[in-house]
Amino acid sequence: MLLDFDKLGAWKWALSAICAVMSLFLLLPILFIVALSFGNSRWLIFPPPGWTLKWYEELFADPRWIGAALTSAKIGLIVMVFSVALGLLASLALVRGSFKGREVLRAFFLTPMVLPVVIVAVALYAAFLRLGLNGTLVGFVIAHVIVALPFAIITITGALETFDPAIEDAAILCGASPWEARLRVTLPGIRHGLFSAAIFSFLISWDEVVLAIFMASPSLQTLPVKVWTTLRQDLTPVIAAASTLLVALTVLLMIAAAVLRKGKSE
Amino acid sequence: MFSAAAPRRGSGLGFAMPAILLLAAFFVIPVVFLLTRSVTEPQLGLQNYATLVGSSTYAKVFFNTFFVAGVVTLVTVLIAFPVAWALAIMPARWSSVVFAIILLSMWTNLLARTYAWMVLLQQTGLINRMLKAVGLIDQPLQLTNNLVGVTIGMVYIMLPFMILPLMGVIKKIDPAILQAAALCGATKWQALTRVLVPLATPGIASGALMVFVMSLGYFVTPSLLGGTANMMLAELIAQQVQSLVNWGMGGAAAFLLLLVTLGLYAVQLRFLDRKETA
Repeated sequence: MLLDFDKLGAWKWALSAICAVMSLFLLLPILFIVALSFGNSRWLIFPPPGWTLKWYEELFADPRWIGAALTSAKIGLIVMVFSVALGLLASLALVRGSFKGREVLRAFFLTPMVLPVVIVAVALYAAFLRLGLNGTLVGFVIAHVIVALPFAIITITGALETFDPAIEDAAILCGASPWEARLRVTLPGIRHGLFSAAIFSFLISWDEVVLAIFMASPSLQTLPVKVWTTLRQDLTPVIAAASTLLVALTVLLMIAAAVLRKGKSE
Repeated sequence: MFSAAAPRRGSGLGFAMPAILLLAAFFVIPVVFLLTRSVTEPQLGLQNYATLVGSSTYAKVFFNTFFVAGVVTLVTVLIAFPVAWALAIMPARWSSVVFAIILLSMWTNLLARTYAWMVLLQQTGLINRMLKAVGLIDQPLQLTNNLVGVTIGMVYIMLPFMILPLMGVIKKIDPAILQAAALCGATKWQALTRVLVPLATPGIASGALMVFVMSLGYFVTPSLLGGTANMMLAELIAQQVQSLVNWGMGGAAAFLLLLVTLGLYAVQLRFLDRKETA
């Protein structure tokens, strides 16, 4: 009764209304920023008195915004490679390994996801002060790989668990070396998991704020750090323009992920 | 590792080594070091913890942290339950739309979302002007730089984390149980409060605990929407380390946050997950 949508009677409308209101609550702020980014009011009046592209021009004319975006992209791509590579190796150990304490190791790998990121940030900041890694590309990459790795491991172990190891064995019986079997049979078999892990890892690094605030220096900052420092000064519409581009990227990656999922189910 | 004759003879632990070494060097050791500094700086002893527990400034930070986390969790549960329930049983063409909106909001840059709320909630913002237009208020309400703003911004961020797992739990409930309740004469309200909600309670509890723990350690939204006068624990840690360069106090506050976080996760693993599998 309560779990049959068509037999809910009046409650059906109540539930649908709550869903609709919540969807608006989630969606409106995002649409609001997109609208503001094209509005010509510096004071963010809504609805805007007129439309303009000047905030985008200001954004693209400022080498600091472009530089921050490029830094973010560079760090995101390096993080993606390391996170997927380390995640794949760790997942092979967790899923195919036969050593004791695999469950403990899995829990250990996931702890950076569980701990408040501010603790990791402060701890790494202290360590990097000694090692001279604050404000360096290497520092950013290490910090972001630490928080991206748990997501890569969850995604890749999930893919490996559904991939039958007998197929790998069969390849070996047919004369493939173990490495050949792993590279040419298992890897293609779990490629959807690897792609999702790569997208996740990139996005986590690309969006990460807290670690980045601690790692950043005036000469090296990521896009979120640039947004953060600008936000603390004023709420300029340039941030709306930057945010809109970030939303567009999110939508693109979501579509890519949906296409991937579709490919997998076929 | 593995040899051709016996594909899985080696243990495979070696494959995990790069990740283990990375986490040991740049996660475990730094965190342990940070926590040690809470009892070694400025001198050996528990004085940092005594200050943290004894002063009214820090008491206010703790109050803010737990109060906001509590209210955010409560509001999130109250909104998420009906939404998750509806999503679990709605026709797929509607639920997929709501689902896409939830994912879009979840994956939109955190700062972009927080920026939206800073603009929407400011004195001259859309919310205040709408409330004024419909005659609910004469003077604009103060909605940012206080805990109201923090709560709204955090509920917005936490909702997906509550809705998605809860939906999974409700989907797994056998509709026959609710049919049985109806056959036995239960009204809809009775079926809801005595059957559906109790059956969903493990999911509600573990989701609520997760949202509560995440809220306790949250940094970005509280610092942008709360202002410096309404500090929460994560900001205190950052401030002690970055502005005041007081590693002892920063470490002590981090240790308390860590303790509460891990304690609540232990509760979750011990009681909630077990109930779900039982």
